[in-house]
Amino acid sequence: MREVVGVSGNGYLLEVEDLKKWFEVRKGLFSNPLWLKAVDGVSFELKPGEAVSLVGESGSGKTTLGKTILLLHEPTDGKIIFKGEDVTHLKDKKRLMWYRRETALVQQDPFGAMPSFMTIYRILEEPLIIHKIGDKKEREERIYKALEEVRLTPVEDFAPKYPHMLSGGQLQRVAIARALILGPSLVVADEPVSMLDASVRVEILNLMREMQESRNITFIYITHDLSTTRYFSEWIFIMYAGHIVERGPTQRVIRNPLHPYTKALLAAIPDPDPENRKRFRDVPPGEPPALINPPPGCRFAPRCPQVMDKCKGEEPPEVEVEHNHFVKCWLYV
Amino acid sequence: MVGVAMLEVENLRLYYATRKGVVKAVDRVSFDLERGETLAIVGESGCGKSSMAKALTRLLPRNVHTYDGVVRLDGKNLMELSEEEFRKNVRWSQISIVFQGAQNALNPVLKVGFQIAEPLMVHDGVPKEEALKKAREALRMVGVHESFADRYPFELSGGMRQRAVIAMALITNPKLVILDEPTSALDVITQANIMNLLKRIKMERNLSFIFITHDIALSSELADRVAVMYAGQIVELTDAEEFYTNPKHPYSQKLMASVPTLRTDKKLEFIPGAPPSLLAPPPGCRFHPRCDKAIPRCGEEEPPAIEVKEKHYVKCWLYA
Repeated sequence: MREVVGVSGNGYLLEVEDLKKWFEVRKGLFSNPLWLKAVDGVSFELKPGEAVSLVGESGSGKTTLGKTILLLHEPTDGKIIFKGEDVTHLKDKKRLMWYRRETALVQQDPFGAMPSFMTIYRILEEPLIIHKIGDKKEREERIYKALEEVRLTPVEDFAPKYPHMLSGGQLQRVAIARALILGPSLVVADEPVSMLDASVRVEILNLMREMQESRNITFIYITHDLSTTRYFSEWIFIMYAGHIVERGPTQRVIRNPLHPYTKALLAAIPDPDPENRKRFRDVPPGEPPALINPPPGCRFAPRCPQVMDKCKGEEPPEVEVEHNHFVKCWLYV
Repeated sequence: MVGVAMLEVENLRLYYATRKGVVKAVDRVSFDLERGETLAIVGESGCGKSSMAKALTRLLPRNVHTYDGVVRLDGKNLMELSEEEFRKNVRWSQISIVFQGAQNALNPVLKVGFQIAEPLMVHDGVPKEEALKKAREALRMVGVHESFADRYPFELSGGMRQRAVIAMALITNPKLVILDEPTSALDVITQANIMNLLKRIKMERNLSFIFITHDIALSSELADRVAVMYAGQIVELTDAEEFYTNPKHPYSQKLMASVPTLRTDKKLEFIPGAPPSLLAPPPGCRFHPRCDKAIPRCGEEEPPAIEVKEKHYVKCWLYA
């Protein structure tokens, strides 16, 4: 039923192979350069219309991974294959424009993401003008339709407004409309609801989910909040210190976490319960390692309650423990 | 209820004067708190939670329009004290506070130990040597090695800085510590570690906390009682057992239904509309424009706080 147009022979929309993004924090002229290894060897595939939650704490590299996939950062190493085409080092301007049309980003802070001097209408028209789509009349139709889809109605009222006249939730709807107006097949949403109030978060997540499903968009939802992932995506990737340490179907990972880090993350999150105050949470001490010259071996080893000798010296491979459920941990090798 | 509670707050008001008019950030709020008890104040951004912390510690901005009511600590009305008396005898020695993002507000050029010791030197007149010794003890108590007393804030991780700020709030042995979003800038595992620390402190010392947060799930980590704030007012005040299992106010119910949970399956709901402006809150019940149970009376008359059960107050006409 789902349209499979322009995907590679194996049916994937996006293939990421051993992707690395290192930032040079000290130039090496006379000394060795220092690298901050934000994304350090990440591989996965996504089919058209699949939604994945990329979960990690701040500094785990999740935002860098999202931006590198969109080529907003130049990849250091590895491969990004989109619709069967290697786009890793896309230089040709026409192909790059095509990739920009096919992909989109929704940012965390809707206030910072909107130029304050433009009206909502102009903000939505901008991508259409840049990509030379339609004449004035057609653009207007598209903009009104987009506003209607994100339920900013009556559209005539919202179109002439400026960003500061809208609430956070309304602005995030504009951001979603802008991301989708060119009809992308891959969208990265970076913490799209973390700046919004609890009561409107669910509304925005529902809206994104609806649009993702009705348009068959592949969606990467970046978040630090594990409890919202269940409502949004069928897949979950857990990131720690530049690696994906566990990935699999959302329900299975949450019900049956394998990696000690995933277990700790789940143990740390409370559900509203009056019993909580009477018990201590079973979480490991310490904080994530620095990504400049990270420890050899497994990066969670210094905090891991189940650490073995092997973990400190050698990086664990990724193992498929059950169908589609992968974990990067020596306990399962 | 008279005379037994450690802290009694009655009709506390804090209004700000702005160019657009008077902002009623805290509007006739009343509650009380026993010794050793933790009250969580929950609500969405802009509901007046942080203003409540400011009102209780009298750390007021310049544009105060109205500041009155009664705040009684162990029977003594603090509102009658002069600025100087309050600073000398109450703030930090009896009521201390951990601000939102305080871990990033440490002075970068002073050693951590000195900053923790400072309240002791300033408020209790403890000599420097002794205060520094106490600061090391306080650091150890919050789970940071005492050698960190001689380091500068940038040498500590976010979680360690937060522990240092908590040590600073505890060093004068206050009766009440106000925690204003104490973990909102920290990672979930670090947050859980800090919550474990606060629980331990709560059990070891018979200390009262006022825990201000927007995170309902997190509030259950410490709360013995819960106050729900909406548009500058407390709309429900009850025990943790009651609140997390059986909230009564329509706003509390909706808020609870919008909390995503990890371990139970439920359909998430949301509240249509946005919280009202505190410049011109709606007449009657402030929640009535967003409430699906509103009756005509709600738009006309402000509901009183109704005691639906012992010590369970709901500000809603449904229970009148």
